[in-house]
Amino acid sequence: MDFDFPEDIVNARKKAQEFARKEINSEMAKKYDRLEKFPEELRKKAFEYGIIDYQNPWSMLVTIEELCRADAGLGISATVSLFGAEVIMLFGSDEQKQKYLSMVQNGDKIMGLAVTEPGGGSDVAGITTRAVEKDGKYIVNGAKMFITNGTIADFFVMLIRTEEVEGKRHHGLSAFIVDSDLPGFTKNKLSGKLGVRATNTAELILDNVPVPKENLIGEPGKGFYYIMTFFNISRAYVAAQAIGIAQGALDRILEHLNRLTKEGKTALAEEVQFLASDIATRIEASRLLAYKAASYLFQFRPNPTLTSMAKAYASETATFAAEKALEITGYSGITGDLERFFRDSKIMEIWEGTSEIEKLIIARNLLKEYAEVNQ
Amino acid sequence: MSMEEQDLLRSAVKEFAQKSIQDKALKIEHEGVDKALLQSLASQGFLGARIPEKYGGSGIDLHGYLTIVNELATFSPSVAALVMLVNSVHAPLIGDSEPEVMKKLASGEATVSTSLSDVLEGNFSATSLKKNGSNLKGAVNLSSLYRGEYAIALNRDDGHLYLFKDGVKGVEEDSGLSFRGLSNGSLEIDSSDYTVLSEKGEDALKAVVDNLDLEVAALALGTAKGALDKAIDYVKVRKTFERPLKDYGPVASALSRHMAEYLALSSYLESVDENDSRAKLTLKVLSVDLAKRATKAALQYHGGYGYIEDTGVEKFYRDAMGLSILFQRPHHDSMRLSKEIFGEKSGYL
Repeated sequence: MDFDFPEDIVNARKKAQEFARKEINSEMAKKYDRLEKFPEELRKKAFEYGIIDYQNPWSMLVTIEELCRADAGLGISATVSLFGAEVIMLFGSDEQKQKYLSMVQNGDKIMGLAVTEPGGGSDVAGITTRAVEKDGKYIVNGAKMFITNGTIADFFVMLIRTEEVEGKRHHGLSAFIVDSDLPGFTKNKLSGKLGVRATNTAELILDNVPVPKENLIGEPGKGFYYIMTFFNISRAYVAAQAIGIAQGALDRILEHLNRLTKEGKTALAEEVQFLASDIATRIEASRLLAYKAASYLFQFRPNPTLTSMAKAYASETATFAAEKALEITGYSGITGDLERFFRDSKIMEIWEGTSEIEKLIIARNLLKEYAEVNQ
Repeated sequence: MSMEEQDLLRSAVKEFAQKSIQDKALKIEHEGVDKALLQSLASQGFLGARIPEKYGGSGIDLHGYLTIVNELATFSPSVAALVMLVNSVHAPLIGDSEPEVMKKLASGEATVSTSLSDVLEGNFSATSLKKNGSNLKGAVNLSSLYRGEYAIALNRDDGHLYLFKDGVKGVEEDSGLSFRGLSNGSLEIDSSDYTVLSEKGEDALKAVVDNLDLEVAALALGTAKGALDKAIDYVKVRKTFERPLKDYGPVASALSRHMAEYLALSSYLESVDENDSRAKLTLKVLSVDLAKRATKAALQYHGGYGYIEDTGVEKFYRDAMGLSILFQRPHHDSMRLSKEIFGEKSGYL
């Protein structure tokens, strides 16, 4: 068993660190956070620098981690413009891949994934946005909520109900590619988020939006399965975001303690040392979980139990690390980067499946395995 | 104040907050407490609750005052913190040295920009003001109420704590993590009219901060209650997988336990002996800890809606964390608590 990454991934991490050092700093992060502004320039620079390559998922995983270590709002914004692309990669037609993926892979266009609905959240099967076939198109009506890249994406992979199946809510859902410039498509930016304020989030309203039939992804009625497959992938990336935040918090604790030591203050109080050790241990455990989950995933044999463990544990590590880092650093933390890390970290426990949902998945899979073994 | 009187006062504060704060809580977060609200707080006797009646204050006893802070915090921790600053920071520091300033404070006619940052843990930058003729001049870091007519600041150069009565200018607002309604920001001072409040300024500021145990406890408990009330209302109506969230064991159990802790600590607060230093410190430590956990759970059970300010729950989460840094010295408090328990200096290695 070898726990070291191959050289190309080690180099990808170094390159991401180099990019973060050059392009992301506290003042910039503070500014975009305050203005709630998407850093389009930074996103483009990340492509130009050659660190965004979703064909190489290991490279993306460590890149996300390193950019979020510098700042989550900017780091996520720079790496999320292909959000949902795996649905098209895995289940889309060649024409769809050619037409849509080629536009986002080079950074020219931005895409998003639109699943969550107002009043929906974790209950993906409860989707009410509907598509009805008419004159060779699907006419879509409904609303989507908390959509990343909502007002800036050129198109979305969207989960829409195409059929009501009595007693089986997760049946009858289909995935579509929906261009954001279609008539009847309205985007309302959501402002006043607690954290990751540089990221773009919106509510989408669909009022008789005509979606071409050829934009149906895969087979009708299979959308729930496609999206769940995607969540397995995206949750590994969220784990990387969370690990980045936690590592960034730890970096700043160590910087603070070093400064205290130099000034002859009580930097090495054992209570503080214990906390720093706890955080570092949790980060290492999160990495091992996330990389193990990713190794299954990237070999096309996903292990949802491991992925959910990685996502839930890394997310809780991020909030734990950010909270403790603020407590340890006190005034300098609350007036510096760490107050932002604290606000940013909380979303990790909410998006792409709340911690509660992840724990349900883990428990159900464990019980299923138990039943299989003990039958 | 008897328990019955405390209950009556709580009802009055709640009624006031429902009318004057509830609908504009978000505006307060964005723009700060406006003059109209300040003067309403004053006319109700809440703003100058502990200020002596000779200065226009209400002269309410400690438990009545804590009730006010606690109940206001369930609607807006920023408004509660403002009342706490006036009564437990500004008034004790200014004392009888400036009667006119005290009167203006109690009436809401003026506010005092205050920087406690010089005595907070983890601060590396000290305020330093320079003599320029008869003027004192310099910049002051993060101050609450940065647009105040007056300012209290420590000058590291001579160690004195000053009240500046002119030449106070708020220069840059910093919305920051917590208590955004307090309008935090930095100051520029170029003052010829000032009073020395204490020649041992750092000690005076530390004494004030260390004496906030019960106020911080009341504020923390109100903050927890505000978030829990919202979460409990929300999980009753919010459905997932076709059932209200409250029907799920982990949700109901977590919120109920937090509320039970709140009720126990509130009961303790209502009857605490103000001379019992161990009880006061215990209440603060446990209440702040509860506030952090309860507000986090409340936000979590709101899902994505909890993450946006319109829902009104994220501010409690931010303020609970800020409370543990901006109005207390946690490391020092740990040492204090250890000393209370062991009866001698402990836990310093």
